[in-house]
Amino acid sequence: MRDFTVPGTATHGWVLLRGDYFLKRRRVVFLFVAPTVLFLAVFVLYPVLFNIWLSLTDAKLLQDTPSFVWLDNYRKLLSSAVFPRYLRNTVVWTAFSVVGQLLLGFGLALLINRTNMGFGTAFRSFLLIPYVVPVVALALVTKWLMNGDYGIVSTWLQNLGLIGHRQSPLALPGSAMAVLIIINVWRSYPFPMLIYWAALKGIDKELYEAASVDGAGRFQSLLHITLPHLKDTTLVLAVLRIVWTATYFDLIWMVTGGGPAGSTTHLPIMIYQASFGTFQTGYAASISVVLGILLFIAVAFYVRKSVAPED
Amino acid sequence: MNAWISKKAGRLLNQFGVWLLALFVLALVSFPLLWMALSSLKPAVELFKTPPTILPKNTSLDWYREAFGDSTVVRYSLNSLIVAVSTMIIDVVLGTLGAYGLARFRYPGRRAIIVSVLSAYCIPPIMLMTPLYRIIAGLGLNSSYLGVIIGHVTVTFPFCIWILVSFFKRIPSEIEEAAGVDGASIFTIFYRIDLPLCLPGVLSTGIMAFILSWNEYLLASVLVSSDTMKTLTVGLANYISSTEINWGVIMALGTATTIPVIILFTAIQKYFVEGLTAGAIKG
Repeated sequence: MRDFTVPGTATHGWVLLRGDYFLKRRRVVFLFVAPTVLFLAVFVLYPVLFNIWLSLTDAKLLQDTPSFVWLDNYRKLLSSAVFPRYLRNTVVWTAFSVVGQLLLGFGLALLINRTNMGFGTAFRSFLLIPYVVPVVALALVTKWLMNGDYGIVSTWLQNLGLIGHRQSPLALPGSAMAVLIIINVWRSYPFPMLIYWAALKGIDKELYEAASVDGAGRFQSLLHITLPHLKDTTLVLAVLRIVWTATYFDLIWMVTGGGPAGSTTHLPIMIYQASFGTFQTGYAASISVVLGILLFIAVAFYVRKSVAPED
Repeated sequence: MNAWISKKAGRLLNQFGVWLLALFVLALVSFPLLWMALSSLKPAVELFKTPPTILPKNTSLDWYREAFGDSTVVRYSLNSLIVAVSTMIIDVVLGTLGAYGLARFRYPGRRAIIVSVLSAYCIPPIMLMTPLYRIIAGLGLNSSYLGVIIGHVTVTFPFCIWILVSFFKRIPSEIEEAAGVDGASIFTIFYRIDLPLCLPGVLSTGIMAFILSWNEYLLASVLVSSDTMKTLTVGLANYISSTEINWGVIMALGTATTIPVIILFTAIQKYFVEGLTAGAIKG
């Protein structure tokens, strides 16, 4: 990291180098950063605070003057019959998706790290594609693949006798979530793969050579050199992906809409339904605050780990 | 001699295994996309056949003709394009300035801003949806381009600035210092030296912002109620919830929405990989 910091030149937190020139920067720097700060304040910080305030009111979607109800929304949420079930769905969806994408991402990182042949870069580029495929396209093709009458995957499953004739796995409470998790792993493994791949390249090659001289096999090297080196990376990745997966709405909404019979409804779907299904803005806000609190600790951990100490 | 042969054979077998695994992975990754594209090229007789056939006997572009013969689809595409390009421009202009200010100077409050950017990056759209809806409606921007653009900048900007900071940090400061001594102003240094050096990174971040906005569904669906202002993703998602599902047209539109994204991403992915692996995690 090359920054302007030179030991002994910092006064009052400012770095002064070569007199006048850097003194002048002091005023001008605000012109660079001000738009960012302003934007974050207006469109991120304010909505978050506004959301907390809304959660304490009885706001409706198209009503301008909500009144304060304090913790009524929270009481209603915590005593609601469906909340424990949807919370459990959220945990299942998040846990399997995250474990799946980290394992797949790690495996593929090992693979692209080994393929040093000419096709290595092309192979890596290809594996990154799911990262940018529009979720709507993925959701639509999922529904088509799983279509009970014409879908190819459904046909395969029907031929194997796993599901009934003309049935779709998306129509069964047991398998709908499984399909969603598999599709979600398909679209989200590239990010962990990339990060693991970068981390693998950062491990000193000499360690492996030394281990090999000492007679360690490939598997032992993986166990005793690679895995310990990836511990921090895995921790940070897991936190980040837990936050994004637990709050991820689009895929489930477009493929099953939370069905069948609420078996794939997780908290984000619940927020959406409260907000735009029954127009209870205040109630929706309280669900997202609860979800936010559950995830806040994770975010704090990620931010602390990711901001370089010199920043 | 025997040992040498078995070692060589073992290595070949190993190599073969890696290739086989790579092929298997390629097949798994391409399967849904390939199936979407193949389905979009099958005429109705083949598309709705039980059991389904893998490869089309006859290919036709009829579904594409039908899809883009519909003027609302053309309108949706245009809306998506306008929103994504505007989001990209705003993200790049604000992001470049902000990232430069964060990567290049030290001042009180800098760390707080970095922490805010990173925290904002972690705030998911579903949590911003309800308050943003009220804010945008309160500003009278419901169903307007500006409303959706604000929504999209909100969810893409923290990512963009985070990646851009990592690009600006990589420029050696000696270059600027030399220019600074020669009496160049900060803005001159910024756009004459740093910006050109970071141009590939800045452009690829812009393209990434374009892709994120082009793909975005939740906020676009919530912030727009009038049919003519819908983006392509929202319009496409609505096809599936309508009573009569036209699978051929849907597969054609899905393919047409995905192809530009894959082309753009392939063009920039080298820089994207650099930016992400440098900026995303310092574990």
